[in-house]
Amino acid sequence: MPVQTQCILSVKSPLGPPIEILKHVFPAQSNKPRVSFVTGLHGDELEGLYICHRLMRYLKELKTTYPNAIQGEINIYPAVNPQALENSTRLWPFFSLDINRTFGPGQSPSLAVETSQTLLDDLQSSSDIVIDFHSSNLHLMELPQIRIIKDFEKKLLPLAKKSNVDLIWVHPNADIFESTLGFNLNRSKIPTLVIEIGICHRIHQSMGDQIFNGMLSLLHHTGTLNITPPSEKIIEPRQVQPDQVAMVQASHSGLFIKQVEIGQTLEKGDKLGKLIDPVTGNVLEEIVTPCPGLLFTLREHPLTHKGSPLVRIAKSVGEQ
Amino acid sequence: MKEKILTLPNPFGGDLELYKNTWGKSGEPLSIVSGLQGDHLNGMFLNSHLTQFLDSIVEGLHPHYTLTGQVQTFPVVNANSVRSGSRLWPLDGMNMDLAFPGNPDGETAESIASTIWQHTRDSFWGIILQSAPPHYEDAPHIQVYKPDGRVKKMCTDLRIETVRRQKESSTQKVNLFHQWQDISSVILSAGSPRTINPQQCETLFQGILNFMKAEGILKDHRNKKPDSKTKARIYKSDEEISVRTTTAGMFLKEVKVGSHLKQGQKIGEVRDIYSGKRLEEVTAPEDGLLVTLRQYPIVYEKEPMAIILTAKKSWREYLPF
Ligand SMILES: [Zn+2]
Repeated sequence: MPVQTQCILSVKSPLGPPIEILKHVFPAQSNKPRVSFVTGLHGDELEGLYICHRLMRYLKELKTTYPNAIQGEINIYPAVNPQALENSTRLWPFFSLDINRTFGPGQSPSLAVETSQTLLDDLQSSSDIVIDFHSSNLHLMELPQIRIIKDFEKKLLPLAKKSNVDLIWVHPNADIFESTLGFNLNRSKIPTLVIEIGICHRIHQSMGDQIFNGMLSLLHHTGTLNITPPSEKIIEPRQVQPDQVAMVQASHSGLFIKQVEIGQTLEKGDKLGKLIDPVTGNVLEEIVTPCPGLLFTLREHPLTHKGSPLVRIAKSVGEQ
Repeated sequence: MKEKILTLPNPFGGDLELYKNTWGKSGEPLSIVSGLQGDHLNGMFLNSHLTQFLDSIVEGLHPHYTLTGQVQTFPVVNANSVRSGSRLWPLDGMNMDLAFPGNPDGETAESIASTIWQHTRDSFWGIILQSAPPHYEDAPHIQVYKPDGRVKKMCTDLRIETVRRQKESSTQKVNLFHQWQDISSVILSAGSPRTINPQQCETLFQGILNFMKAEGILKDHRNKKPDSKTKARIYKSDEEISVRTTTAGMFLKEVKVGSHLKQGQKIGEVRDIYSGKRLEEVTAPEDGLLVTLRQYPIVYEKEPMAIILTAKKSWREYLPF
């Protein structure tokens, strides 16, 4: 069976062409786990779009070269927040609304809530596992990583380990997650990995390629694809708990001039950067690393307010 | 007394400052918060009106009134978004009302949220002033979650006719209102974002005045009996109907928010922007009170144009006055 493209939601728009949310279905040869990939919930996060592009190309080719390779249905939702993507904004611009805060019960009626409910229903009816791709916000650059809420650790950790991410961060639940897609799918017993890659407004091809390979490894692991992934070895990710993560925050407001790069291994006392006062020309703060470890979050947007995160470090063993 | 409760440095000068006003002797106060969103101007206007009023009482310019309790107001919470003339602060794009209880050592929104929470947590009563969501207009009304006896009494004392009982939602735990669950508290909503409607504000102002008098926060020496004709009605969430579009274009409303609609009554119509042709007539599916009406005319399909509070259940929950 060829790839099918379905429209899961179509909304008439005031100027003509409707808003449509599409999904591509790669039908299965048997009933191995169905895996769905979602990207574009935040319209300025583009790294996942590139990964989904690579997945679609790969799977389409596989259909001709190894017609029996797809043993479990694969669904790709390549652009689930079309208006935000068109405008390259995190929020759905017409409503100034973060659609990834509209999932779950009790939300007041709106088109955004209708949309998130439709997406959630569709994913629930067609997936055994879901991957939701995100990039960071305007401010921070993230090494490819998966953050797992403690309650879902048992189911998610084995999947996360196959995903070729640099880091897996297991942390306690926070109330703010309860309105996200990932939380609501996990709560409905559909294991969902939220993969965070890079930064918004950019595509880092090497990170995208890394996660693309990770997704093939994952699909092979679940039996959804029955061919060996064509790639090199999968990264053994660093696994951290909250007490193994050090965050350095700004104690002044100014411009952050970084002196490190993401992914670096740091020693205690290494220079991270400085905070400068753009008006007076003074240096407000020289920032050094408080502990040795892996630099997995780095401030990219220089404009910094007091309390803003500058870096996150996965502490080296023995530093916890 | 105007008091600065938080100062956050700005990289380009002009610190961000958060203020509260306090009147009356120490004790468990009534806290009134507005400006959680930068475009909720009705609440900020109402708080400023209240400031004038309470100042004049304290200065002895209102011989009929004596302040016997304590009131504290927080006119502007999301100060950055007010400064930028927008609903949210463009730099973080965060809905301020999803940042509670906050963190004193966190980023700007978390730090502001924490300050507001710390200054209001010992209140006896709490009132949040808000406007409708973007693109809508609300008739003045009260919102409550699970109302206990104390909250029902608040509704009675406010003498505002319409009370909506809200569903518990997936975002509520990070709202200010949820942090106040041990405080007798309500939300008062009126009007549209980005506008001031003095008439709607006056309705809420009179409500707050009624409340302060009934609770003994304010003493009216004239001993006037309150107008007993007003009856409040608590509507449950399943008594709300949202009337949605089936087409998209320009919505022209034909009714006023706050009016009582008859089943089949026209609310407005959607016209095609290019041809001007009428695409659909939006009508009330049942009798009821029009509590929320679409204000911004450009509309998509499946958008609510109106929220009607119906009386479809056989029972009615009236609050006695
Ligand atoms: Zn995102």
